[in-house]
Amino acid sequence: MMRVQKDMQNKAQMFRRAVVCAVLLLAGCASGPGGGIYVPAGERPQAPKPPLTDGAAKPADEPQVWRKSEQPPEQKSQQPTGVPGYRESGDQMPAAAAGLVKEADTLIAQGNGAAAITRLERAQRIAPRSAAVYFKLSEAYVMTGQLASAEQFTLKGLSLAGRNERLQRSGWLLLADIRKARGNVAGAQQAESRAARL
Amino acid sequence: MKNTDKARKPGRKKPASRKQPAAAQSRRKGFWRILLRLALLGLVLLAGWMVYLDAQVTSRFEGRRFEVPSRVYARPLELYSGAPVSAAALEQELALAGFHKGDGSRSGSYQRSGGRFLISSRGFDFPDGKEPRRHLALNIAGDQVQSLKVVKGPDSGIVRLEPAQIGGIYPAHQEDRILVQLDKLPELLPAALMSVEDRSFYDHHGIAPLSIARAILANIRAGGIVQGGSTLTQQLVKNFFLTREQTLLRKGNEALMSILLELHYSKSDILETYLNEVYLGQAGTRSIHGFGLASQFYFAEALEDLLPHQLALLVGMVKGPSYYNPRRHSQRATARRNLVLDQMQQAGLLGESDAQRARSLPLGVSDKASFSQNRYPAYIDLVRRHLARDYKEEDLRSEGLRIFTTLNPAMQMAAEKAVTETLPRLGDEALESALVVTAKDSGEVLALVGGRDPRYAGFNRALDASRQIGSLVKPFVYLAALSQPQRYTLITPLQDTRFTLKFENGTVWQPKNYDGLERGEVPLHQALSKSYNLPVVRVGLDIGLAEVKSTLQVFGTSSAISDYPSMLLGAVAMTPVNVAQIYQGLATSGFNTPLRTIREVTDAGGEPLSRYSLQVNQVADPAAVHLLQYAMQETMQEGTGRSAYNTVPRALALAGKTGTTDDGRDAWFAGFSGDLLAVVWVGRDDNGATRLTGASGALPVWSNFMAQVPQNSFTPVVPDGVQYHWVNVQQQALTDEQCENARLMPFITGSEPKQTITCAGALPQKIRGWFEGLFQ
Repeated sequence: MMRVQKDMQNKAQMFRRAVVCAVLLLAGCASGPGGGIYVPAGERPQAPKPPLTDGAAKPADEPQVWRKSEQPPEQKSQQPTGVPGYRESGDQMPAAAAGLVKEADTLIAQGNGAAAITRLERAQRIAPRSAAVYFKLSEAYVMTGQLASAEQFTLKGLSLAGRNERLQRSGWLLLADIRKARGNVAGAQQAESRAARL
Repeated sequence: MKNTDKARKPGRKKPASRKQPAAAQSRRKGFWRILLRLALLGLVLLAGWMVYLDAQVTSRFEGRRFEVPSRVYARPLELYSGAPVSAAALEQELALAGFHKGDGSRSGSYQRSGGRFLISSRGFDFPDGKEPRRHLALNIAGDQVQSLKVVKGPDSGIVRLEPAQIGGIYPAHQEDRILVQLDKLPELLPAALMSVEDRSFYDHHGIAPLSIARAILANIRAGGIVQGGSTLTQQLVKNFFLTREQTLLRKGNEALMSILLELHYSKSDILETYLNEVYLGQAGTRSIHGFGLASQFYFAEALEDLLPHQLALLVGMVKGPSYYNPRRHSQRATARRNLVLDQMQQAGLLGESDAQRARSLPLGVSDKASFSQNRYPAYIDLVRRHLARDYKEEDLRSEGLRIFTTLNPAMQMAAEKAVTETLPRLGDEALESALVVTAKDSGEVLALVGGRDPRYAGFNRALDASRQIGSLVKPFVYLAALSQPQRYTLITPLQDTRFTLKFENGTVWQPKNYDGLERGEVPLHQALSKSYNLPVVRVGLDIGLAEVKSTLQVFGTSSAISDYPSMLLGAVAMTPVNVAQIYQGLATSGFNTPLRTIREVTDAGGEPLSRYSLQVNQVADPAAVHLLQYAMQETMQEGTGRSAYNTVPRALALAGKTGTTDDGRDAWFAGFSGDLLAVVWVGRDDNGATRLTGASGALPVWSNFMAQVPQNSFTPVVPDGVQYHWVNVQQQALTDEQCENARLMPFITGSEPKQTITCAGALPQKIRGWFEGLFQ
């Protein structure tokens, strides 16, 4: 029993190192195309750009002439309103979230995983697209011995790591450790080889 | 009983000695005997009655004295530099949390000038620690907190305002209270109360005969009950045990019980109970008991923060809460308050100048009762159902639990406005609607509307209207297909042509597009964004119904799914909340996140009882979901969701899907931004036909909501194993970015086209490269 606990502590330390490294790396994250993605409310846009037949755009909220169709009228001249977007990496953490993560770090160091999780959930609400927050949550769950949750939060973090190779590597190694601790050898090897390919 | 002289009442004087006839003497003896027997019988009965009353008094006091309803709180607003909140929303939040406009330095007040706010927070005991009182200065611009400074109090980069109370779960008799403790109260309150209601409280034993005599005389003169000489103890007994009728028997009982109460309990016990029990007003069907709740109800302040003139008003209202209701009869209430202030001055509780100043002040009552009935019935309904898994109804109604929910008041207001503004425009008064809003990455339910009248606490369509989902099922069919990259990519050509399915029992099924047209060949991404029926059925049949069914199930579908191909067109019944649950996974690169309405529950003393943590569970390959999200973004830009941009700012990137069932019985829209997932259903309760589609019925509600809320665009992070390529979709080939028909599209690594063509769609890349080399 003691040995298992010790193993867990060692693991926790290992994760901590990996994750601290990941958090630090975030500072250098580039955001994807388009830069800022925050849009204030309430600005009604101009009428669409396409050439108008009679110069009058339909009032915004007026329902269309009723058709038994979901399909909008297909006019070749209609321009799309944009193109589907994507980003190469997740969000950087705002200072407020970073502060909460720091508090959580202290709590983890004190062995108070449950309190760390409440801080990290607050941070997650502020920075829901930051991979580092999820890696931290994973660390807190490792500490409380809930490895299944830890694995899922690592996967969630990885889904937001994007093209940031060092963040990815931290995530894959974290995943390998957790899977090993759960006795999933094949899964751990898979994660390790994924990290090695970076 | 032996007839002897000894039976004469002791101490009674013998009558003057006069010779009387023997018959008269024996009659008199008989009379005394009967009287004695009656007196003894009366004593026995009285003793029995006292024992009964005593049992009543002690059992009520020893047991739980009060049933305290559970308090339900909205999520606290987090303020930090960069927080997404508009100035208007912040002001709304402050009002809901009981702040009042003022100088921003008195506890619970705020000052606003444009986007600049000064806020004096009251502090709050959260389950994870105490948020101290602070003076804050913040500036909001562009719907974001630009700067936050703690002017007074412990410094911090992030501050939580106290949460608004959004309702309660009340005992059956609808009594509400906030319990107060005598030792934590301003001393002025009990002192003022005694100076007005019972000056000799600490000296009497439950009843004050002189006061009663005075009252009896007054009542005899007036020919009815006009005055009560009741002590505080008697008033408490009246409130606690007895009916409101004024009869002599009741008065007698009241006096006896008061004496018993004083025998058993200390003065401070009785006084504290009185302060929590006294009736001080009415809020709809809910009665306001005790000074703690009355303070919130009339002033939106904690009792310990009240000023003398406010305390005086509450004390004055004890005499007649509806007669002296300060919101209805302000003059009457002011006169009564000033009378109490006079009494306080006479009793030496206030100096002359303080009393004078207090008399000159307005009543200081808040504009609206800060504790209205449950403002958000549909939301509270969902909270109750979640609580029912872990708590007994009777405990929720009586144990004074504190329930911290995920409700975001600003979003809730926007959601209600979206429904109430849009539904009347759809032209059919029988139309109903439901709207569910969740935080995309945490599964927290932020807002919920259960019908076209959000205040109506009846049928909650968001939870209980189980309706066919129509085309909302299509993303799951295509996700199952895209999860097999060797067979399907976004540019796989699909047949948009009719076909007939014959079943073994001889029945025939011929699906059609909504518009009845056929388009020959369409690429997969367009088949989804334009919501064509024929291709999706073909794809579903190709990958197998079982595969589609299991995809729906791992994403959290709990309803029965038919084994007939009609399920590929959405012949699956779900509630709006169920739909929100399964779309959560599509919005978050394949992570199923259980919906939550509760973060924490604590007991009345703030001790944590339950926490409901964030959970995520990967149920699909993020790479396949990323491809699907591309097509769902296209829905908003070129497909059935396009008209959203008549309302929503163009800069806000969104993804979503329309849904319509036969004859427009159900109009659905489910879509998400970077932060939020919102699901709208519109239809009739009788499941009747309408002239609506997802795009014309549900999307306007959805767009109205989305346009009101500042938020982040949906720009998904490219997951591991996905690469973007410029392709010529028609030719199924890679091409140059500069080509007119080039489109940048995501592919699961290895599934991208192998062939490369020029802009003209002809020469292979290798040959062209050779020519370029030749002429350079």
